[in-house]
Amino acid sequence: MGGETPRGGGLSRRRFFGTTAAASAGVVLTTAPAPAARAADDDGAVDVAITVNGTAEKLHVDPRVTLLDALRERLGLTGTKKGCDRGQCGACTVHVDGRRVLSCLTLAATADGRKVTTIEGLADGDDLHPVQRAFVECDGFQCGFCTSGQIMSAAALLKEGHAWTDEEIREAMSGNICRCGAYPGIVEAIKTARRAD
Amino acid sequence: MTDRVDGRLKVTGAATYAADNRLDRLAYGYLVTSTVARGTIVSMDTAAASKAPGVLAVYTPFDPLKLYRYTKEQNDELTPPLQDKNVRYFGQAIGLVVAETFEQARDAASLIQVRYDARPAAASFHDGLASATDPPSGSPISEVLAPGVGSIDDALNASEITVSATYTASMQNHNAMEPHPTVAAWDGDHLTLYTATQGVMLVVARIAEALGIDTSKIHVRNPYVGGGFGNKWGIWAHTPLTAAAARALGRPVKTALTREQTFTVVGHRPASQQTVSLGAARDGTLKAIKNDGVSSKSASNGFYEPVANLCLSMYASPNIRVSRKIVTLDVPVTTIMRAPQEANGSFALESAVDELAVKLGMDPLELRRKNDSPVVPSSGLPWSSKHLDECYRIGAERFGWSRRRPTPGAVTDGDWLVGLGMATATYGASRAQASVKVRLLAGGTAVVSGTGADLGTGQSTVWAILAAESLGIPVGRIRPDLGDSSSPVAANAGGSGSTSTNGPAVQLATEAAKTAMIALAVQDERSPFHGKAADSVRFEDGRLKAGDLSVPFGSLLTSLDVPGVEATATSAKNGDKTHGFRSFGAHFCEVRVNAWTGEPRVSRWLTVLDAGRIVNEKTARNQIIGGVVMGIGHALLEETRLEPATGRIANADLASYLVPVNADIPRIDVHFLDYPDTLLSPLGARGIGEFGIVGAAGAVANAIYNATGKRVRDLPITLEKLLT
Repeated sequence: MGGETPRGGGLSRRRFFGTTAAASAGVVLTTAPAPAARAADDDGAVDVAITVNGTAEKLHVDPRVTLLDALRERLGLTGTKKGCDRGQCGACTVHVDGRRVLSCLTLAATADGRKVTTIEGLADGDDLHPVQRAFVECDGFQCGFCTSGQIMSAAALLKEGHAWTDEEIREAMSGNICRCGAYPGIVEAIKTARRAD
Repeated sequence: MTDRVDGRLKVTGAATYAADNRLDRLAYGYLVTSTVARGTIVSMDTAAASKAPGVLAVYTPFDPLKLYRYTKEQNDELTPPLQDKNVRYFGQAIGLVVAETFEQARDAASLIQVRYDARPAAASFHDGLASATDPPSGSPISEVLAPGVGSIDDALNASEITVSATYTASMQNHNAMEPHPTVAAWDGDHLTLYTATQGVMLVVARIAEALGIDTSKIHVRNPYVGGGFGNKWGIWAHTPLTAAAARALGRPVKTALTREQTFTVVGHRPASQQTVSLGAARDGTLKAIKNDGVSSKSASNGFYEPVANLCLSMYASPNIRVSRKIVTLDVPVTTIMRAPQEANGSFALESAVDELAVKLGMDPLELRRKNDSPVVPSSGLPWSSKHLDECYRIGAERFGWSRRRPTPGAVTDGDWLVGLGMATATYGASRAQASVKVRLLAGGTAVVSGTGADLGTGQSTVWAILAAESLGIPVGRIRPDLGDSSSPVAANAGGSGSTSTNGPAVQLATEAAKTAMIALAVQDERSPFHGKAADSVRFEDGRLKAGDLSVPFGSLLTSLDVPGVEATATSAKNGDKTHGFRSFGAHFCEVRVNAWTGEPRVSRWLTVLDAGRIVNEKTARNQIIGGVVMGIGHALLEETRLEPATGRIANADLASYLVPVNADIPRIDVHFLDYPDTLLSPLGARGIGEFGIVGAAGAVANAIYNATGKRVRDLPITLEKLLT
């Protein structure tokens, strides 16, 4: 709540959470050591070099910028959606170095040197990815707002090589909320895409 | 079975939702919200925020953007934000920070220090029940009594068997995935708004009023909506603020609510209580239905749920009485949420019918069949088209209802107690006035336009199918154009009325466009049909035909060097006062309850329903499933927890306000009967947006009783209620 009066100390609740969110995002991404964070400029911004959907991008951004907001507001890739901005809904799911990652819990700075794939980069030109085709065929969505995240999760799931039963697919896809309730279609789509692979 | 026409756009991330509009020199707004539930703002120290990097403006009640008073209520706020210093609920918009970036605006908002003169707030529905009052308008009671019956209590007392119990349900939040963004841009005195809404014309009306500008100067665009469920009907605080800020700053501004703010800045489903009494003869014939309903209502607006009303429309009974009372609370705005009043109303009534069946020793399905009413129970008018008994029969057969064991706890599977339950599904139908334009283009394609909205319902696909059918061309050659305020005025998305209202208008407009095309063909000297009588030319399979002549309309337009022919038609509102219009169906489900932990899991589901004509079974099935899924959430998970002492919502995020996730939902079977309701419209479609949720929570509760013998009358049915 922006209007909150600070309770003693100097660290507001928001700033405290901002710090911890950054820390946990760092943990998620330290599977391979990231290049050392580049020193902030006088303006406080950091330089980030990332490859997005095969294109090398250079960003000079506020260190508070998440990967999600970097994609949407700086690179114009608005297919990735912000549903909660705190890692609870999955709408912002993208692939970082091939793994599914919540881009709202990933600071853009920590993606430096990494390869990011978004929903815009999943199809092969006009040729839809099998998961995209299956989502249309099985009607695995309604409003479409969670769909980018669902599809990025599903595409990673198929590569991960697990979740063979309906129940396992449901469990593995439960980090992606669909408020329209298109879950049965999503499960069908994943099975259909797996058969097509 | 047609794929969604916007499917490819949605699976490639190319559909442009409101927040996806990127404009030159876009600035970012961030709302500041109150941290007390009631009182007066004494001061807001904005010095640090104003000086923070990138900040363009800080607006507060002490330095507001001028907004005019709201004169019409649209299930939202009664007063525009920042025009006074009153705090009416915790989480109310009390400021807007605009900065060069989102991060700067968010950070600056956290620097504002607010001092309040706080007063005690009423925030407990439970505590307010004892002093519930009559609703602000309308009659508090509706009653039908058989001749000679003095009162509903007399009818209950005279009944051989009675049951009576009180059912309660929590506040709920819609939690559409798209959290209410608004992007505003001015060009001179002309405003363009990209804002998530169930009806662009609702936005035009509210913004014209709030900003004091003519409706002709406002253009609202919102072709793709990230879910609504009632919550994008109202126009919430950030929308007029963002429009006014963009005007004041001379540059476009985008403000999206945070998920936490979507629990307070926009409305919620009220809490409710119903005391239901049923009286019946020993053979199960209902003699009396009484429901005293109470709903919470925000002090900030007038909306409440008359939860008991459904009893007037469901089961045959010579005596019915429902009452309506409210508990006014200092909480965020109460508003419409999927099947307002009926989702909760059906939970109570369908539970009570199940309780009556237990007391009678009768199968609950047989009890419902016995009391199926061929007429509207409260008015005696015949239903336009009702096939509920067929739904019951087909559902029972497909689900294996005959294998249900009436004794609770009789079926176990390892550690799980297994129960079957059912309930009646229903929702009212209507047809309002709508206008739609169809434009036939030289390329052989057509555009269908109107101000309707597709919240994920499949409405745009329905328009394409109906136009394609009438023109005799493939669906892929139709481009539906929804969510644009410059189009003819069609129905907003709400009340399950989009297809029933807009569908007939699409049909009429397509016929009118064909007529206009034929008129051009016979009048234009360069046309091969020139000089023929208009009624000798037919429009079939996308072609104009007369005798041996047969020319595709697109080729004809091209040869005449005419880019397009269009027609707008208006479908009138339903004028039939001699019938009741309502859809009916039946839910059947299996629920497993863990014998040790009390955890309930829905394991099997079938819904059989009659909604008149189903235009596209693929999207319709999905929509019914979506209603059932939200109903399962209603039954087992969803609960907005309000702290009574502070009026703060304690679980304003998606980790603690639980909505169903994939693992919570089994396979769901949906079977539609196909009886076009031609008394409602020539199209015969009744609308299905809310139908699936009504009765779903009752079916789950009844299955849990069958599994465990425990009757939980308070939603959601969380495991601790099954452990006691």
